This record gives sequence, C-alpha cells and structure tokens, in this order.
Amino acid sequence: MKRREFVKGLVVATAAAGTAIGQQKAPPQAKNPVPGNVIDQGSQAVAPNNASAPAATAQLQQQAAFHTPNIPVTQPDVVATTDARYFTAARYATLARLCEVFVPAGNGYPSALQADTPQFLDFHVGGSPADRQAMYNDGLDRLNADAMKQFSVAFAKTDAKQADAVIRPALKGWINDHPPVDKQQRFVALAHREIRTATLNSPAWAVAAEAAGERTPGIGQYWAPIDPGIETWVSHGATKASAPLTRQAHS
Amino acid sequence: MAEKKVDVLIIGSGHTGGMAAKILTEKGIAVTMLDAGPMLNFERDRTLKPASTLPFRGLDAPGRHPHIFQASEFSANQWVDEKVIPYNYPAGQQYNWVRIRSVGGRSPFWGRQSFRHSDLEFKCKDHDGFGENWPISYKDLVPFYDRVEPIFRVQGHTDHIPNYPDGKFIEDNAPWSGAMQRFVDAGKKMGVPVTKARSALGSGGLASSLNLLIPDAVATGKLTTIPNSIVRQITVDKNTGKADGAIFIDRHSHREMTIKARVVIVAAGTLETTRLLLISGICNSSGVLGHYLCDQIYGAGIAASVPEARGGKTGRNVTGGGALIPRFRNVDVKVPGYLRGYAVNVSSSTGPMDARWFPEYGPALDAKLDEYNGSGFTTNIMGETLGHYENHVALNKQVVDAWGMPTLTISTTYGDNEKNMAKDMVDTTAAMAEAAGFDVLVKNYEFNPPGYSIHEQGTARMGDNPKTSIVNKWNQSHDVKNLFITDASVFVSAGWQNPTITMSALAMRASEYLAEEMRKGNI
Repeated sequence: MKRREFVKGLVVATAAAGTAIGQQKAPPQAKNPVPGNVIDQGSQAVAPNNASAPAATAQLQQQAAFHTPNIPVTQPDVVATTDARYFTAARYATLARLCEVFVPAGNGYPSALQADTPQFLDFHVGGSPADRQAMYNDGLDRLNADAMKQFSVAFAKTDAKQADAVIRPALKGWINDHPPVDKQQRFVALAHREIRTATLNSPAWAVAAEAAGERTPGIGQYWAPIDPGIETWVSHGATKASAPLTRQAHS
Repeated sequence: MAEKKVDVLIIGSGHTGGMAAKILTEKGIAVTMLDAGPMLNFERDRTLKPASTLPFRGLDAPGRHPHIFQASEFSANQWVDEKVIPYNYPAGQQYNWVRIRSVGGRSPFWGRQSFRHSDLEFKCKDHDGFGENWPISYKDLVPFYDRVEPIFRVQGHTDHIPNYPDGKFIEDNAPWSGAMQRFVDAGKKMGVPVTKARSALGSGGLASSLNLLIPDAVATGKLTTIPNSIVRQITVDKNTGKADGAIFIDRHSHREMTIKARVVIVAAGTLETTRLLLISGICNSSGVLGHYLCDQIYGAGIAASVPEARGGKTGRNVTGGGALIPRFRNVDVKVPGYLRGYAVNVSSSTGPMDARWFPEYGPALDAKLDEYNGSGFTTNIMGETLGHYENHVALNKQVVDAWGMPTLTISTTYGDNEKNMAKDMVDTTAAMAEAAGFDVLVKNYEFNPPGYSIHEQGTARMGDNPKTSIVNKWNQSHDVKNLFITDASVFVSAGWQNPTITMSALAMRASEYLAEEMRKGNI
C-alpha cells in the first residue's frame, strides 16, 4: 500500500473506531474536527485555554465518565506454548522428568508437564542471574550423572523407582528462607518448590480448580506500580538533574 | 518573589514523621511534611488477583529483588528497586536493605508487634558492660508509651514481668488452645515464660501513620503534605549554624526546589536519615554518624506438628493461636556463649502445612499435607544483635541513585554472639516442643542476613556526650540545635523488640519538647 493510502485508511479506521466506542460528537465550533476518540492532549497542555473551552470540557467530562467495557480476557498459556530455549536438550529432558516426578497429575488436576512448567522454568531460569542458572545447570547435570552411575540410563529415562533412588538422598525438609546448605540438596529443595509453585499457580491448574467447583487458588493482594514514572526517567538517562543548568542560565 | 518559610519541616511521613506532625499541629504549629514517594491510593494501587494471572506465576521477575526475601510477585511493586536506588556492601557482608517509598513510609506494611523496651535495654551497659546506656530510662518513656498504645490499639495480656513491661492494652484474656497450653506448661517447667503476643490492632487492619496519625494533623488545618519530594540536602545557615531548610527534587520531573524552615525534623527511616545527614555534611562533629548499626536476627527456629490435630481432628480447642516468649536469657543469670537475649514468636496453625517441611514429593507429599493439615507449630527467633562501632554505613560517591544522590555502602556482620544465641533458641524451643508432645519436623540454626528484620537501628545514636553521640536525650542534634531526628537511627541498642512503639513514643516525647522550646522562644 502506498503511504498516502495507508494514512488515509488509518484516519478512516480511527474515526470509525471512535464513533463506535465513544459515541462522541465533534465540538460544533471546531473548524477541523478531529476524530472523536483522539484527544489532542499535547495542544491542550501548552494552550490551557483550549482545554477550558466549554465544548472541550464537555468532551473531557464525557470521556472521564466512560466505563471500561467488560471484555473477558484469557491467559496466553491456554492457547499458546513457549518454546524451550535456555537449557540444553539433555538438561531440559532431565528437568521435564523431574517435573513429572515431583508433580504428577491426579484428582482432576494437571501434572507439571501438562501445566507447561518445564517451558515456564526454562524461560524463567534463562532470564535469571548467573548463580541461579548455575544452580539449575549443575543440579540437573548431577541428577543425570547419578542416574547414569546407578542405572546406566539418563535421568530422563528413569522409571519411578530409579528416579526416587536418585532424588531421595537429596530430599530434606526446610523452613523459612533456609534451604539446605549442601549444593545438591539445595537444588532439589528449591527446584521442588519452584516446580510446585509454577504448577499450582499455572492457568491450567486454575482451570482445573474451576472445573472442580473449588475456589480459585493462589489469590493474593496484588500491588500495581504506584504512581509510576521513575523507570522512564532512568531508562532515558534523565537522572542528571537539570539544576546546574538552571543555575548557569541565571548566572 | 514572596519570602516563604515554614515553621517546622518534617522529612519523612512514616510512624515518627506522622507522630511529629500530629503532636506539633495539635499544639498549633504549622508543619510541612515532605515524602520522597508517591501518595498511596489503596483502591487504585492494590487489588485481589489469582497468581495464575500474573506474568511470572507468583515467582516474580527473575532477579528483581535479590535482597528482599519478603518480596513476592504480588508485592513486588511496593518495594524500592535497588536498581533505582542502589546500595552496596563489602564482599561477604550481605545486607538486605528492605525499603518502601510512599507516603506513610513502611508504616502501612509493618508486622504490628508492639512491645515496650525496659531498663534491661535502656541501661544495657550497666547490665552486661557492652556498648552504651541510653540517656533515658524506662520511667522517662512511660507516659508516652501510655499514650501511644491507645492510639495504636495494642492488644496484649498483663503479665507482670519486669523486663517485659505491661501497658495500656486491650486485654487479651482468650484461653489458650490445647496445644498452646501444653507448650506454656512445658515452658514453666524449663523456666521459660510463654505469654500472649502483643499487637497493634489499629483500625481497618491498618496501624499506619496514614490512618492513625496524619489524619489528626490534617484535621488541625496546620499540615501541608508534599509527596514525591526527594530531599537531597538539609541546608544550614553559615552564620548561625542552624538548619534553615532543605533542597529537594521532584521525583518525576527532577525539578529542584528550595524550602526554608525554622526547624527541621528528620524522620526518613534509619539509614535514609543517616545518608541524608552524611550527604548534607552535618551533625557529625563526633565522627560516629553512621556507626553502631544494629538490628535483630530472624530466620532461625523450628517447625513441628501437633499429633492430636492430624487426620482432620484440628479445631479451635486443639490447635491455633500465637504466643511470645519474651527475653529470658541473661536477665538474672548469665548464660555462657553470648550477651543479651532473644524473644520467640510462637504460632500454632489450624491451616495448611508448608510443603517445604516434608522430605517428600508427588502423591506421598500430598498425603502428608492432607494428614498433617491443621497441626503446624512454629517458633521463630527475634534476637538482639550487638551494635559494634565497626558495623557502619558510609557514603559511596562513585555510585549515585536515579536522582544523582550518593548511595550507601553498608558494612556489617554478625558473629559468634548471634550464632550462639540462635543455637540456644533452636535447641530450647525444640526441647519445649518435644516436652509438649509435638513432633519436631525441622530445626533451622541459620539466620537471615543483617537487614532482613527491617528493624535497622542506630547510626545516629542518642547520648549525653556530644563526642560519642549525634542527638541528646530529646532527639535534638548536638551540633545543629534546631534539627531533631525521630526515627530509629537514634537507638543506642537494638533490644529484641519490634522498635515501632518505642520509636513512636520517642517521637511524641521529642515533639512535645520541641513545641515547648518553640513556645519559650528557645528554638
């Protein structure tokens, strides 16, 4: 599409959308009416008189009173998957088997595999600090090495009894923020906790709970970003306050 | 331009800033209160959500708050992001600085445990020779505790234990559950007192400056509150040596503004207060500003199960309820291995068990969780740490925050005193639990890094001697006579207690002193 046609199409689409959504009329005295849902906030900010004109005020009041339509939304996990990218194939297979062992399906609830927990953890660990990545990589390698040593099969291919023989020596109870100090025990403790958390908090688990007629699991009080603004300034490098420039300008 | 000058400038709006605002405005003094953070809007800022709708399934963004063990994906946005306001520590000396920047400070989020200090804390050096005494004694603070507790609506039980002073409580006479009674009885046999917990009920589930203190100041018509105002320097008149105001930066626009004031109260929270004083280059003729940092060790304790509650037999008479073991070590008899002492939070749960406590997985774990449901019992330490001179903070001018302010290097370590204290606590409470007939599932002797308790204290301590302290017994700077510090940076020792009630009582006392001095024309 040529640029001119594209722009034209965009304006029409925007105007149509504005009419459909807001049912707003352009101010009658406006010579060049803008599409109904396009508020020229920038002009109003630098020319406050425009913003206080009766028609403009009425438009703003109408928009302020607009209530958000109730459009049900869906978690992406319901219809899409995440490709594993971080772990090597061998480690990923070990992780998947560990997930299967730690949280199997039961009583109408999904397994960790069915909840896409291995893919989720691949994503999560892949974006983590190096020490957490190392803990997972070393821990998965150790599980695999122990399985090979004891049964001559990869951990990913172990049966339930073999997997238990590999895992159980590293299983320890713990409290508060203190997983075991031993390296492999620590990995097993934290991986177990994270596999359970990622599975029990998964959309698939929530769907199963709803189907079972049980209350929605994992409800918590969520804090949204409070009066955000810091991140924008930091990421745009505006953290050097303008004060010295102001002083110079007046000196 | 018209000359603008405020009577009293308060920097920080948490419990002590809020208390100062309340007391001063109620005496007719005009107050301007700056807070570095935004105003909270509970209706807009928080909502109930299932974890399954959060981007990280409750695990939060990887590496987002590496030093805030309390953070979850639900609460992640309420904490200060250390990438925005960094700090650092020497290798091997991890410090978990847990901060909140919004009007009300940390007061909307505190644990609400409310304990008075006693002369065991105020006169600690007399008792064991370590550190310094406070320049006040318990009787100096009694009238203020008596007024603070009704504001916070502290619920507790009158126990008549000298080093665990009683107060103006909403009396808690509820009977113990069966399990708790057995634990209390086991304690008696071992000489360990087990008492009811003491907690601020507040109102509406909140015991913050936002709902208990600042509204009273607002009602006087004498309070001006300005959020998003990051004070980067307290200014001093070179001719008089007195504070004459502050320079602050708007959080959003980075516009710098100057405010003039007759009196300055610093209530920014222990380490932020000290950081601001260090940046401003004031109140440190003694050279001890930033030193004697202390807090409490948390994290060590036990998890147990009450056998008769298993198999679906839990209930109000069987399990449930909380308790507190106030400090009992090194009170009358000195124990080997450590100075000072610890308190213990005790909890009996009628709810689900924690999966971490069992070395099981899969269906076997689910069966355990079902079987043990409602039988959980825990003890957790609150142990006093020692405020050594070497435990200190210093400015790091090489690393600045998002507003160009130098950051802090925090250097503090725990030692054998804390290790030995934690070991004693775990062994003692495990023995009590076993004597009560409980099954101990996990013992944990490790404690969390310094800072975790969010009870950082000291670094601008009070004292009679200007050569060894920052403020006098009225929270007034030795060096800058019209500058007061009301937060826990003035604490001389940590005690085992949650510091909020003592901070608030000290702030009330200091504010009344200030108001009287202003009335007399002395300040």
